[in-house]
Amino acid sequence: MKVLAGFDYRRGKTPIHKLDPRSKLVYLVLYSALTVYFKNPLILLLLFVSTIPIVSVGKIWGRWGISIKGSVFFISFIFIFNFIAQVLSGSTMADAVLSGISMSIRFVALISIFATFFLTTSPEELTQSMVQLKIPYDYALTFNMAMRFVPTLGKEAGHIMDAQKSRGLELEKGNLMTRIRNYIPVLIPLIISSFRRAELVADAMESRAFGASKKRTSLYVLTMGSNDYLFIAISALSFLLLLSLNLFAGIA
Amino acid sequence: MIRLEDVTFSYASSKPALSHVTLEISDGEFVAIIGENGAGKTTLVKHLNGLLKPESGRVLVCGVDSRETTVATLARKVGLVFQNPDHQLFAETVEKELAFALVNFGMPKEKVSEKVEWALEEFELKQYRSRSPFLLSGGERKRLALASVLCYDPEIVILDEPTTGQDSRQKHRLASLLKRLNEQGKTVLIVTHDIEFVSDYIPRVVVMSGGKLVADGPTGECLTRLELLERASLISPQLAEISWDLGLKSPSIDLDFVVAGINEMIRGLHG
Repeated sequence: MKVLAGFDYRRGKTPIHKLDPRSKLVYLVLYSALTVYFKNPLILLLLFVSTIPIVSVGKIWGRWGISIKGSVFFISFIFIFNFIAQVLSGSTMADAVLSGISMSIRFVALISIFATFFLTTSPEELTQSMVQLKIPYDYALTFNMAMRFVPTLGKEAGHIMDAQKSRGLELEKGNLMTRIRNYIPVLIPLIISSFRRAELVADAMESRAFGASKKRTSLYVLTMGSNDYLFIAISALSFLLLLSLNLFAGIA
Repeated sequence: MIRLEDVTFSYASSKPALSHVTLEISDGEFVAIIGENGAGKTTLVKHLNGLLKPESGRVLVCGVDSRETTVATLARKVGLVFQNPDHQLFAETVEKELAFALVNFGMPKEKVSEKVEWALEEFELKQYRSRSPFLLSGGERKRLALASVLCYDPEIVILDEPTTGQDSRQKHRLASLLKRLNEQGKTVLIVTHDIEFVSDYIPRVVVMSGGKLVADGPTGECLTRLELLERASLISPQLAEISWDLGLKSPSIDLDFVVAGINEMIRGLHG
């Protein structure tokens, strides 16, 4: 569950934190699209590496690192499943390995892109930017709260695992099917407590007059600065460059 | 026996949650761990069944180094119940919830149902045996969580905040159960903020503050040291408070002792 550290926003004063969420959203959409589109492991590696300057300027090495390290577990899963699927569908060994590697790098690149976005963007600003993009407030808030509770859920899963291990549950015991079944005592409390929390949050929001007036006013209005236009320009240019590699050089 | 030798532990990238804690608890002791929020109490008890392993120093439970064994092995001896029952209740019925740990430890079927019956009786949960744990009230869920660990009869019982959400009747029941378990020779360890519960029932306290162990001794002695209580953000027991307010010569948390002190004072006034 460490991979969820990539959603744990903390306040910061770096240029990346100060960017308008809308410009970071442009980056997020364009780069995720590239990551999903390309299959070439070198291009995918390049996409991963391209997030590192952002991590560095945004000073989010710590939680970014935890998140990337946490993804290693999933990568091994993805690699093995992809490899098996490829071999079964008649690919050669070399192709299967290559495709497994691509899938793994793609996963890490996606984690990294999303982590840079969520680690440097405050949930409030993100909601505000969605509202300014004319998305209805209810939907913007729902999305935002879902994101907000991801790390909370991760922590809660940790507490539950501790409690069940203390009652003799061994998660890493048995064959694949038993291992999956071992997680039932963890998942059920997690789901139930999420429902309980959702109800509590709803009550708390209503107690604070959520939905009392049709038109909400905003305390802050987001504005785009020169850094934002620069960031969008770099994102868009590099996007077009990679796309042209695909169109004219045939790299997929 | 539980022994912590110079144990230090920190969660990722922050100051140590435990620093250089040395503590020894003999078999058959009844001990309370108290201290402010974030003092490191829960971190400490998580070391006692191996959920957390010390960064430096070592933890010995019944002579076994916690780093050289698994949580499941230690859990058989050390029953640890956490604060929030919702972090562990999952089964379809109260009965199955109680049986979970028993089955995990591979007990034979007759033994399982015998232990389940005992727990249903002891924790007044009999009428709910085939009900879903999620339909119970907060206090009942808390009792079920306690029962689901105590039912497998661990040698060492550790309870994290067992009295929250319990009325005074249930607190008394819990206290007398813990006393009985203790008299049977079990080691009982409680993490709590409930200072009256501690002063009424528990003979030894360990006071923690900011990840450090700041005091360890007989309850009557520790809970009448004002500077210590303030340092660890603890409310003083009412009897200690009365002793101070009246200016008794020797403050105490023992009712008879305080009454005797007051009588002596009155005699002094008359004489």
